[in-house]
Amino acid sequence: MGGANPAEVAQFIIRSRIADPCFVHSLFSQLPDSNYSKLKYIISSSVTEACNNSVLLLGSRGCGKTAVLELVLEDLHKEHPDMISVVKLNGLLHSDNNCALKEIARQVCMEHQLQFSKMASFDENSKFLLSILRECGLAHKTIVFVLEEFDLFTEGKQRLLYSLLDAMQSVLSQAVVVGVSCRLDADQLLEKRVRSRFSHRKLLFLTSPGEDFQRLAEHILLLPMDSRLPNDFRASFNEKLLNILADEEFKGVVDQLCYSESSVSQLLRFLFCAVCHMDLSSGSLSIQNFKSALPSIQRQPKQEALKDCSVLQLYLLVCMRRLEVKELELCNFNSIMKEYKSIHDSFKTSDYYARNVCLRAFEHLLQRGLVSFQDNRGQGQSAEFRPVKLLISWHELQQGLQSFRSCPPLLHKLMDREG
Amino acid sequence: MAKDESPQVSRRTTRASLNSTPNSKAPQEHSKATNPSRPLTIKDLVFRGKSINLDELINSFPGRRAQILELVQFLGPLNSPMIPLFVYGGASTGKTSTVLYMFRHLKRPFIYCSCVSCYSPSILFESILNQILLHRKNESGGYLSAKRCERPSDFVNSLGEALTALIDSLKGNMRKSSPYGRMVYLVFDHLELVRQWDKSDSIISLLFNLYTLLKIPEVGLIFISRVSLDTFQSDTGFVEPFPVYFPDYTEDDLHQIFMSNQANPKLYSSFLDLVLRPFYRITRRVDELSTAFSPLFKKYCEPLGDLVAVPNEDMKRKLFSHLQPFISLSLNETFTISSQPLLKDRNLRKSVFKKPGVCETLDEIDFHMSTSAKYLLISAFLASRNPATLDASLFDSTGGTDNRKKKRKVSEKSIDQKEAKEQEILMKGPGTFPLERLLAIHQCITSVGEYSLDDEELQNGELGADGSDSGSMSDILLQLSSLCSANFITKGGSCPLEGSTRYRSIVSEDVVLKVARSLKFPLSKYLYRR
Repeated sequence: MGGANPAEVAQFIIRSRIADPCFVHSLFSQLPDSNYSKLKYIISSSVTEACNNSVLLLGSRGCGKTAVLELVLEDLHKEHPDMISVVKLNGLLHSDNNCALKEIARQVCMEHQLQFSKMASFDENSKFLLSILRECGLAHKTIVFVLEEFDLFTEGKQRLLYSLLDAMQSVLSQAVVVGVSCRLDADQLLEKRVRSRFSHRKLLFLTSPGEDFQRLAEHILLLPMDSRLPNDFRASFNEKLLNILADEEFKGVVDQLCYSESSVSQLLRFLFCAVCHMDLSSGSLSIQNFKSALPSIQRQPKQEALKDCSVLQLYLLVCMRRLEVKELELCNFNSIMKEYKSIHDSFKTSDYYARNVCLRAFEHLLQRGLVSFQDNRGQGQSAEFRPVKLLISWHELQQGLQSFRSCPPLLHKLMDREG
Repeated sequence: MAKDESPQVSRRTTRASLNSTPNSKAPQEHSKATNPSRPLTIKDLVFRGKSINLDELINSFPGRRAQILELVQFLGPLNSPMIPLFVYGGASTGKTSTVLYMFRHLKRPFIYCSCVSCYSPSILFESILNQILLHRKNESGGYLSAKRCERPSDFVNSLGEALTALIDSLKGNMRKSSPYGRMVYLVFDHLELVRQWDKSDSIISLLFNLYTLLKIPEVGLIFISRVSLDTFQSDTGFVEPFPVYFPDYTEDDLHQIFMSNQANPKLYSSFLDLVLRPFYRITRRVDELSTAFSPLFKKYCEPLGDLVAVPNEDMKRKLFSHLQPFISLSLNETFTISSQPLLKDRNLRKSVFKKPGVCETLDEIDFHMSTSAKYLLISAFLASRNPATLDASLFDSTGGTDNRKKKRKVSEKSIDQKEAKEQEILMKGPGTFPLERLLAIHQCITSVGEYSLDDEELQNGELGADGSDSGSMSDILLQLSSLCSANFITKGGSCPLEGSTRYRSIVSEDVVLKVARSLKFPLSKYLYRR
């Protein structure tokens, strides 16, 4: 990318930053009293004082738990080379005890250049784990077990958690168990025997509030000193960007963004969209980029699905809504058709179609997710008889009808009369 | 049709079909069918053949300009990392074709797998790994996959290894100034189907979290789905991918789509002016519209001598009045398969034996079925529709003609009750019945039906198993199981009280009426009307 357009280089740099969670969260690591320093203290004390420890990192999805952990581990690797080995497990992949122990054995073998046997049994693997813990303890080497999606490990008998935490009761071992979960009640999911062996250290990660938002945006968007970028380009880019970020208009956009959701991942998606829309010829971000990014982030899937409907499908939806108002216990395709026919009988609409055509339209509604079956029972029943429910509210349907371009006026009337 | 969006094709055929541009004007100079013994290389992950530029790409998808530009921007210039994308929109809106064509334009390596053909996690995993490892199933390898992979953990491990190796070789290629860049894209199509798999929760979270699990920035993930993100539920959620929305086509878009690649644009345009608006009110899907339009257009052209001429106003009016009755007929039809040659053949054969005037083509059932299976179908239908308490009075020795005496004076209350009953029928659908009841009814109607049919039976020369001896029991059971597998009758769960399996007939009344008519069976006599 030697003689490339500096704007392209800038875009590339920012895109790589957004795609790399560690970079994004490195901002928070510089703060004193952050989770970063707490976690670092816990793990490093275990490394230097040769003790066992366990900690849970809790916080909503995408708020940087794993990223902070990675940063801590990276730092500790630098500070104490050859003193730490990390074993990473993920609840999505290794919630099965057998599989988890095998994976631990595999990763340990990879790190220490041992022969890994795929055929080893659960028993052998757990013995291997204990002996490895003892050996590492004797060599003053800390093993850090990272259990991502910790809540998924608590399904079933929790044998893995028990054997890990139980092994830590011995003075010989030197290990840290770090659980990462988006369930804030993850420690409550533990069995009694496991809970009593857990240290009950919890670090809570908050979703970043509004003020951090500004700093995070600067952190990601401001261009660094880079050999590929001409200095004057960098200076002008950053200056323009700071102007935009300080602008009231931009703050309004950010407020709108945070109104529905203010997580870091939401911000990242927003910035990604804005950066992708960057005009490469002018070589700088504009307020327009941010503004246009907003609607593509805040999607309204139900409204979109309504807008995609055909007129016949709208008729069926309105019929369902009218049945809902009548407070019938159950509603299925046949009762919808009855209502549809009665509407036709009283208003003589031009949109009266045969039953099979309506059934097809009804099935499309099911596909679109505007309507769903009430239960999973009666799979053998044909779709006409299975009870269904409407997945949109009266208000949403009303709004959808109003924004529909060629909506028959009769439908509005039918909605208003009964709603 | 102009847009060959066939969503249910495997990757190979998709690519093969993509080698011809949507306008199918470009000759198929580069077919995928190269020497099969040649080992695959990285080049096989990239579209071979002529590349298209952005304008061609946009022109080949009318009405998709904004989406294409957006997607190209999100994928960015060569080598730009990206966050996972989620492309969604209704069926038949060109999602898959657009994405695949975009890779043809961009010329970057990608891996496509559809959850239609890869219908279970292990098949999905193995298909992805096969493509990345450039493995081809062949005879010498015993049609085995490159790696057996059942568990998600094995999949993520092998995928990580394979992708790193692939990206390393791409980077190696970069130094030799190969144009593919170092990004590899994984495209998952028909993601909405994953929701119906076993343990769908964990698979969906796995796929959406794949990017964070792999931690390889050179991987771009693109998910294609017919439904929006909010219908994918999972316990603790996932990091949401970036949504890209494909709206359904508007009337103008559809006009443009249907106009492309027409032999006589003026004629077709005047045809579209007539049909598009009414059909647009029913459905906006290109595939459904095109199946409806093609027979109509043939009808439209019927009065014309030559198809090249540009129709004038007078002609248009004439054609309109010619087409008018067919439009309203076709509006109320769904997809039909024409079994015309078959039907005609059968009608000819039948009319030799049958008395004239009896056979009506419309009432003909268009599938073959043995006589005993027909009786069984009718008895199942009766068992499902009639209340079990009335069986005795309907099928008693007098032949069940006394159900007319049920007429009493109608009071207000009974009307209400009647309505409630009707409502219940509408809701519940056909009832279930045990096997014994079906056999009893079958016995009754075959013993009644037999004499009315005897003469014709002999003429046709098909001596069914439905005589007075009613065939063997095992034959009936065999017929029943074949009716079940043909989905005429469904097998329900066993009743907790009786402990026997219950059945339910799910055929519509029209079909059964046709069947009964073909047997000359007086169905209405036995059907209890409330």
